[in-house]
Amino acid sequence: MPTKTISVRIDGELVTAREGQSILEAALANGKQIPTLCYLKGLSAVGACRVCMVELAGTDRLLPACTTPIQEGMSIKTASAKLTQYRRMAVELLLVERNHICSACVSNGHCELQSLARSLGITHVRYSYNNPRMTVDMTHPRFVLDQNRCILCTRCVRVCAEVEGAHVWEVASRGIYSRIVSDLKDDWGKASNCTGCGKCVQACPTGALAEKGLSVMEMVKQSDAVSRLATQRASLVNGAR
Amino acid sequence: MAKAKADTKYIICNADEGDPGAYMNRNEIEGDPHSLLEGMIIGAYVMGATEGIIYVRAEYPLAVSRLTKAIEQAREYGLLGANILDRGFNFNIQLVQGAGAFVCGEETALIASLEGQAGRPRPRPPYPAQRGLWDKPTNINNVETWYNVAPIVTRGPAWFAETGSAKSPGTKVFSLVGKIQNTGLVEMPLGTPLKSFIYDIGEGAAPGRRVKAVQTGGPSGGCIPVEMLDTPVDYESLAQIGSIMGSGGMVVMDEDNCMVDVARYFIEFTHSESCGKCVPCRVGLNKALRILNAITKGSGTREQMNLLDELGRMIRECSLCALGQSAPNPVLTTMRHFREEYEDHIVAHRCRAGVCQELALSPCENSCPLRMNIPRFLELYQEGRLEDAFESVILDNPLPASTGRVCQHPCDNRCRRQSFDEVVNMREVHRFLADAIYQSDLFEPMLERIRARKLAPTGRKVAVAGSGPTGLTAAFYLAMLGHDVTVFEERSEAGGMLRFAIPEYRLPKSVLRKELDLIEGVGVKMVFNTRIGFDVPLNELASQFDAVFLSIGTWKESWLYLPGTELKNVHPALPFLESVARQEKVVTGARVAIIGGGNAAIDSARTVMRMGASATILYRRERQDMPAIDEEIQAAEDEGVRFVFLAAPHRILGGADGSVKAIEIVKTRLGEYDKSGRRRPMPTDEVQRFECDSVILAVGETFDQDFCRASGLELKEEGTIIVDRFTYETSRPNFYAGGDVITGASNVSNAMSCGKQAAQKMDERLMGEQRWERIFPDFEYSRTAPGEPSLSRRHAAHDLPAALRVRSQQEVVAGLDPKEALEECRRCLRCDLRATVTAN
Repeated sequence: MPTKTISVRIDGELVTAREGQSILEAALANGKQIPTLCYLKGLSAVGACRVCMVELAGTDRLLPACTTPIQEGMSIKTASAKLTQYRRMAVELLLVERNHICSACVSNGHCELQSLARSLGITHVRYSYNNPRMTVDMTHPRFVLDQNRCILCTRCVRVCAEVEGAHVWEVASRGIYSRIVSDLKDDWGKASNCTGCGKCVQACPTGALAEKGLSVMEMVKQSDAVSRLATQRASLVNGAR
Repeated sequence: MAKAKADTKYIICNADEGDPGAYMNRNEIEGDPHSLLEGMIIGAYVMGATEGIIYVRAEYPLAVSRLTKAIEQAREYGLLGANILDRGFNFNIQLVQGAGAFVCGEETALIASLEGQAGRPRPRPPYPAQRGLWDKPTNINNVETWYNVAPIVTRGPAWFAETGSAKSPGTKVFSLVGKIQNTGLVEMPLGTPLKSFIYDIGEGAAPGRRVKAVQTGGPSGGCIPVEMLDTPVDYESLAQIGSIMGSGGMVVMDEDNCMVDVARYFIEFTHSESCGKCVPCRVGLNKALRILNAITKGSGTREQMNLLDELGRMIRECSLCALGQSAPNPVLTTMRHFREEYEDHIVAHRCRAGVCQELALSPCENSCPLRMNIPRFLELYQEGRLEDAFESVILDNPLPASTGRVCQHPCDNRCRRQSFDEVVNMREVHRFLADAIYQSDLFEPMLERIRARKLAPTGRKVAVAGSGPTGLTAAFYLAMLGHDVTVFEERSEAGGMLRFAIPEYRLPKSVLRKELDLIEGVGVKMVFNTRIGFDVPLNELASQFDAVFLSIGTWKESWLYLPGTELKNVHPALPFLESVARQEKVVTGARVAIIGGGNAAIDSARTVMRMGASATILYRRERQDMPAIDEEIQAAEDEGVRFVFLAAPHRILGGADGSVKAIEIVKTRLGEYDKSGRRRPMPTDEVQRFECDSVILAVGETFDQDFCRASGLELKEEGTIIVDRFTYETSRPNFYAGGDVITGASNVSNAMSCGKQAAQKMDERLMGEQRWERIFPDFEYSRTAPGEPSLSRRHAAHDLPAALRVRSQQEVVAGLDPKEALEECRRCLRCDLRATVTAN
């Protein structure tokens, strides 16, 4: 069934989009940039980080671009003083939630959180650091999970479930105590369902998941490759339907 | 949903009632489970659903067992199951028990929970009507909605729309709880004003208390201040003022509730119930809670308050589901409507409600306008240390013999001993301590001891205008801090209202004299018969003094515009009392009518009785509404003062000679509740006439407009001087003001509190450092709780018999004797001590 083409306005510019696309997908397809963090092309969108919030003309509500389907006649604003303020705050909150010490991080220089903070002009945080005591899981022979650097974007959870089909990762607990856990809250090294494929590591936007023994220069994430795989698989699944 | 094409459709009843204090759904289900099933069956028939689910809290065992039974019965009658009533309609209902997560009240989280996943919401669209449970079209509604179905079908939508407001038709069940006299569940038409709930149904606050705010809609609703109780309770109006209808919870709060703590409590709740999926709710609420914790501990800052506001807006606008979107409501509304309370915590480290433990020594100390360390002087006297106890008192309160007699004693309302038997008589103990020193040869040595605590002379000169309680208090502390203080007084004697308004029988002039001796003894200079702004221009003061404190009080009596007030022998209360205090001749005749219900009315009436006349107080409300101190009203009654309640003055009738002959009053009835939480007196047709020879108007005091206007200082609309709430600075540099002239007529201890705080702030400004604590010695006294506090009952002060006292100016209330005072001290439960319990 051919998808219907609809016309919408993004930042005042009249563009076309396909029905069923999210606001984010339509914007990206038309060369517009909206910052994201929990979104990874090809994986299901969850709307957790709230960095991609956009304004919809005619309402005073903000919408997450990644999960809101675009509709005929919508007029979207992707940037405004308020959006920048709220995006900054979301990143600021992530920076104080756990222990993000860039100078000691394997992802320094190629971390999505770090580069987003930089592009939003965050030079300091105004809230006190939570400095929680977090664990580091080194039990896996090849990989390591450092909870200090996790932002709970759940890209690892989704890539493992949706692409690899192994369902190693899940979020345990709730609220500020939420944690990424492997298998049934066991050590990653003991997770019998882990295939060791490393997709979660490549999908992770920060240094929370990393490969052991790699230096900062070597640990550049291949999230694009994961994304391509995920997209292929998504189209296969949709095609089969 | 009816149009949606699918092999299976679901309808769900959301009975996951998770709001603390809300139990309307529970009551409905337990009382009438069949009506719920009926609504769902009709809904399923119309929408073509085949499966129904009731998601009910596991904590409602009776609701669960009754629903289970009702479903079985419905099946037996063929109202559930296959081919219902031969219509070819198949429908079943199953019961699912929720595990008690607040977020599962959110429909997508509830559906996730039904599917066996963690209760976390997902973004909408797609809405449940398109893709809900197991990706099938799903209709989900609250218990009350399903209960409304059958009656609407039976009687038609027009019938339903008859009640309620235009935009929100119908009724809603509310759970009315908190600081009101009558709590419980009420069903009311939507659009009913909030005040009907609180005053007509809830019967208002407990006696002696005032409703401060009401929170609607459960833990994520907004707090609505008492000034806005005219707001109709419907979805639109509540949303407009930053609150929600929510589940229909209504929590009423009075002055014992700290609004910062209220906000902190609800954020703590939503924070612990946040699912953690989206950043604003997970981290934002955590940061908000940490800031609120800091503020309630007194370590908050103004910057944090701004951050909190910004954070609240961000969480509201950016969160994924309704939990996060509504969670900041309590913070945002309390910051908007009760900003002063936040500032009190941050700037003055003060929690007026006495809720925030870190900011108060004990409930009595926190309630005292002068923040007297009450447990300390009680303990010191109990240890047999009269002088030390007095020193503790006098350094906290430079007029103890006066406040010991006339204070409104707010400490009585707070004393924790009242939950055991009766409150500790703290006012009488400090009066006793003062009298014990003043009426003995201990006075001179004591004065020496206090003088020794004075800080070295600073060389700074301070002028104080007015020698009332405010001015005297400020002058005392400024002198103790080493400044050169001169008090300018318009009259020929010091004391202000203490001297000229409070009658001799309540506060003997000889007692006041001792207090003044002590204040002059620490070096305060008095200049009499000098009116600031007239005899001495303000500019002259400014050039001669480093700082000026204005505390001229409110000496003008409010005038009542009434026919006949121009007649002879119509007296305003204050000048009347002042003339009596000066022992001038005042003609009253034999029968005196007094209009008003405050302390001035009572003082006037009792003074009239002592002049040998009869006194009748006419008051437009009822006795419990009178602002006067209760003991004083009681004493007046005992002395034979006649009270006529529900009587508003109509006109004063005069004879041919221009003197008063009678007063006519209009009987009132109590109408709607006004903003003060009292019922508004409404005039009726009934007029009564009272023969009298003079009339005293005691309808409130106002301030000297002439002085205020001429001062060139910035004034409020009503004419009081504008000052910074925390520093008492006026619009003119080095000019400070305090007491009634900034607050309007108040009482002695409130006025003194202004003087005390202003002195501290003036000293800080003059000296550029905090020196306040240096005038207080380190009192050594027992810090262990009494194992067995005295089981003795409260010792009241001794009144002279009414018949004896009413014909003389002799002091009516004799203080406690040493033995009684000691026993009262032993009754203290020592709330100032904190037990430290270490974990493990």
